[in-house]
Amino acid sequence: MAQGMQAATAQGGFGLTQVRLARGFVTVVVSTVLLLLVCLVFAPSAVSAGGLAGSLPFAAVIAIVGLGQMLVVQQGGFDLSLAGGVSLAVVVTTHLSGGNDADLLSSVMIAFGFALVAGCVNGILVGVIRLNAIIATIGMNALLYGAVFAVSGGVPRITTPLMAEIAGGKTFGLPNSVLFAVVIMVVVSFVLKASVAGRRFEAIGANPQAAHAAGLPVRRYQAAAYVLAQLLYCVAGVLISGITREPTAFQGDSLLLPSVAVVVLAGTSLLGGRGFPISTVIAAFFLNQLSQFALAVGVPFSAQTIIQALALVFGIGVYSVHFKRAATNRATMSNSEETDDV
Amino acid sequence: MSKTLTLSLSLATITLTTALATTTVLAETPSWCGPKQASLALLDGFGGNSWRLVTTASGKEEAAKCPSITQYEYADGQGNTQKAISDINSMAARGINAMVVFGDAGPAVLPALTNAHKAGTIVVPYRVNVGGEEGVNYAKFIGSSFVEDGKSWGNWIKTNLPDGGNVLFLSGPAGNSQGLDELEGMKSVLDDKYVFINQEPFAVTNWDPSLTQQVLSAEIAKNDKIDVIVSDFGPSLVGALPVFAEFKRSIPMLATSDGNSLSCFWAQNHEANPDFKLFTVATGNDNVRLAVQWAVALATDGTPPADNIFKAPVYEDSVSGTPNPVTCRDDLPGSIYLSAEMADDAQAAAVGQ
Repeated sequence: MAQGMQAATAQGGFGLTQVRLARGFVTVVVSTVLLLLVCLVFAPSAVSAGGLAGSLPFAAVIAIVGLGQMLVVQQGGFDLSLAGGVSLAVVVTTHLSGGNDADLLSSVMIAFGFALVAGCVNGILVGVIRLNAIIATIGMNALLYGAVFAVSGGVPRITTPLMAEIAGGKTFGLPNSVLFAVVIMVVVSFVLKASVAGRRFEAIGANPQAAHAAGLPVRRYQAAAYVLAQLLYCVAGVLISGITREPTAFQGDSLLLPSVAVVVLAGTSLLGGRGFPISTVIAAFFLNQLSQFALAVGVPFSAQTIIQALALVFGIGVYSVHFKRAATNRATMSNSEETDDV
Repeated sequence: MSKTLTLSLSLATITLTTALATTTVLAETPSWCGPKQASLALLDGFGGNSWRLVTTASGKEEAAKCPSITQYEYADGQGNTQKAISDINSMAARGINAMVVFGDAGPAVLPALTNAHKAGTIVVPYRVNVGGEEGVNYAKFIGSSFVEDGKSWGNWIKTNLPDGGNVLFLSGPAGNSQGLDELEGMKSVLDDKYVFINQEPFAVTNWDPSLTQQVLSAEIAKNDKIDVIVSDFGPSLVGALPVFAEFKRSIPMLATSDGNSLSCFWAQNHEANPDFKLFTVATGNDNVRLAVQWAVALATDGTPPADNIFKAPVYEDSVSGTPNPVTCRDDLPGSIYLSAEMADDAQAAAVGQ
């Protein structure tokens, strides 16, 4: 149903476009359902209420950084400053609040301020000055880690009680972090699929030249992707500072690969184009559940890493097959598709 | 006559004062601090957590006890093996007389240490095994007895769980030697009545609180009965232990290393969790002091300490209260270690709070 919404809001309702969208969504949903069935049979503890309650907050964090990475990947870019952005948000939130609830709001706002600056610099470097995205964001990542050390000396403090309650608590039995992820997903989906700005954003990602010819401000939209991505990384970092009561200063390091993996698993082209927010969030749940399954069946740590890598390869494989088959279709359809509602 | 007497008394007073002062200085100067002047460097492979900050400050405090140390330097490898190697080479090139090295990268730093050793620097790696051998690759290796920690945990488990039970053992990165040594120590004490329910040899957490939380929730979901958790980094469990509440289960016995945040967590939660008994060994910041003593002794012609291996003492036992009851200092940062020799306030300053 969710992907149906994506398909329904897609331009023009082309039959083949709908099939393509459905395939990406169906792939990730079917994979997730299969995984849940496998868990039920071989590792029921991984899908028990308590087990899910313990792991869902981390799935939510992967979903949020995945949505940020998706926005950048949609524009044919790549954001390697994710790790630094998340880590800086963690240390700013924990350090500047100093365990004191009264200072929490201001520290979170400052964290968003840093994210805004980092995103703008990324956006200008890649979107406007046309630096290679990987090089620019690697440099930004180093700068952000410099800021992490400057703020914290590499040592984050313990989170405030209010932050622990907001990020680590529950509402109606659901972890608050999951609710954050769902709200962000709905907002991103709505903006991308149902607003003029969102449609332009997708059109520019699919074919910047055509979008430019149509008079769209391509560079501004491409730069905006990096700004929005940093803001989402910041949300993830702030949530981590509450979910993990005593986080490390390098909490973002372990999120870079999963962020790319969920974007790929959700079917977003690494060459740019349409993004699939709902599929990305489901893929985050899938990836996290895969880790929980590996932990629950007690496979060695090395095998756990291999299983995750295989999931990524699987996603890329599915996408590549899809890409080749759709290539010719896209060539014939792209013009009408991209200019349909701009 | 009077003048002579006054002069004599003055001279006697001066002589006595000088003698007393000399004696006091001699008494305050530790035996490992010799007369020869030397420069000393402390080299970290990774300095970015509170444990390292307290350890670094402890090393500096120990070196300051020796007036023969005329120069003290510190370098942080920042988790980058290339930088760690470069730091070692650069300190040797600068002519530093002695260096104490936390070789996080393991044998990868051995060639650099060997070069420094051959160039005449007193090289003392500590805590992490870097391979090589004493006298050939470095002057002295100061290890830490993780096997002893394992034995201490095992003995406490035996005392408090005499009929056996399920043990969950969490350690750091896969295959790390610290975890393996601790397991060896525990298994030398615990017989087959105690079942290790984690994957062999331990559940991998990378000492990362987030991963610890995920691993622990998976293990709790999987195992209906966990009688005792053993972890070699206690503070990283603080975020993870509330997961037991999700399963409507009491937090079980915990054998681990100390940290103020953990002690405060116990203080806040032990009444609601009747099974939550806590036992800690000192987390071992003072390992660096023994390494500094050895390096200074060899560089200044002092008398080396008697010990080659740092043995972390047992620190807290919530059951017996011996040698210490669990003590929370909520007026101090959670990220300090009350077991460390360094004063609490100085630790707070070292971690920037």
